[in-house]
Amino acid sequence: MTPELDPVIHAQARLRVVVTLNALPEGDQIAFPGLKDLLGMTAGNLSVHLGKLEEAGYVEIVKTHRGRTPATYVALTRRGRLAFEEYTAAIRTLLDTTSAPPSGA
Amino acid sequence: MEEDDRALSPEEMLRLIDRQDSAAVRRFVPDTSLLYLPWGLAWLVGFGALFLHHGLSGRPYAPISIDVALAVLFGAMLLAGAVNAFVLWRTGNQVRGASQQRGMMYGLAWPTGFLTMSMIADRFAAQLPEAERNLLWASMSIMLVSVLYMAGAAVWHDWPMFAVGIWMAVLNAVGTAAGAGWHALLIAVGGGGGFIVAGLVFSRRVRR
Repeated sequence: MTPELDPVIHAQARLRVVVTLNALPEGDQIAFPGLKDLLGMTAGNLSVHLGKLEEAGYVEIVKTHRGRTPATYVALTRRGRLAFEEYTAAIRTLLDTTSAPPSGA
Repeated sequence: MEEDDRALSPEEMLRLIDRQDSAAVRRFVPDTSLLYLPWGLAWLVGFGALFLHHGLSGRPYAPISIDVALAVLFGAMLLAGAVNAFVLWRTGNQVRGASQQRGMMYGLAWPTGFLTMSMIADRFAAQLPEAERNLLWASMSIMLVSVLYMAGAAVWHDWPMFAVGIWMAVLNAVGTAAGAGWHALLIAVGGGGGFIVAGLVFSRRVRR
């Protein structure tokens, strides 16, 4: 049986976003420019992916102000962390079944 | 974007996860060796100079005045502090939330501790002969450092850091009982050397 891979996470760029946010301790948020630099993505590209992740309820986007300049902070939601956990588990299961020796099939 | 969205094989996805996770951790978690090594070098050089000034039997081993020895010590510690501040700023400047508050409170504990300790030490130091005066300052400072290390270990759930704190506390107590020269020697070699060993052993390479 092949486990379902979450289509929201199962795309290179979004997977990298989720992995990065997952490395952030719970209760922390990262500024949009910091995340952009860490991922090496363009702002537009990252925004699109974050939008999709937010739509799925995996990411929380907070718009605020740092002094007078607007600032955007991003964090993985609890649901997002769970989804990522399930995704890595599914990938590992997939690997185990494909790398296991063929049993009579 | 089409390029980004191309789905990879499970192996490639797993490798991508590992690679991105290490890159993120490198950014979010300060490298312990960059925090420990500068202090190790500072203490080795600084307390080394102090040791040469005091000697073990009350006679100096090198013509280093107390002013020069202290200037070397404080200069080296200032450098180490600057390296630490930079490393911690780099890890935290794009992040806000619970870690930031923890870091800020812990960060403020250091100058507050040292400022109030200085006021206390200053009052009693005036009554003491030179070697004892230096020892009072040095032992109170190391005591504060060791306690803050243990407390920091509790904040970040970091057992190696706790061990470093205990080690400093013990060295400090033993060295103080033995006198100014011994204290400087123990802190230079055991403390500074201990930081250097800790920095090498608990560096990121080994931990992750």
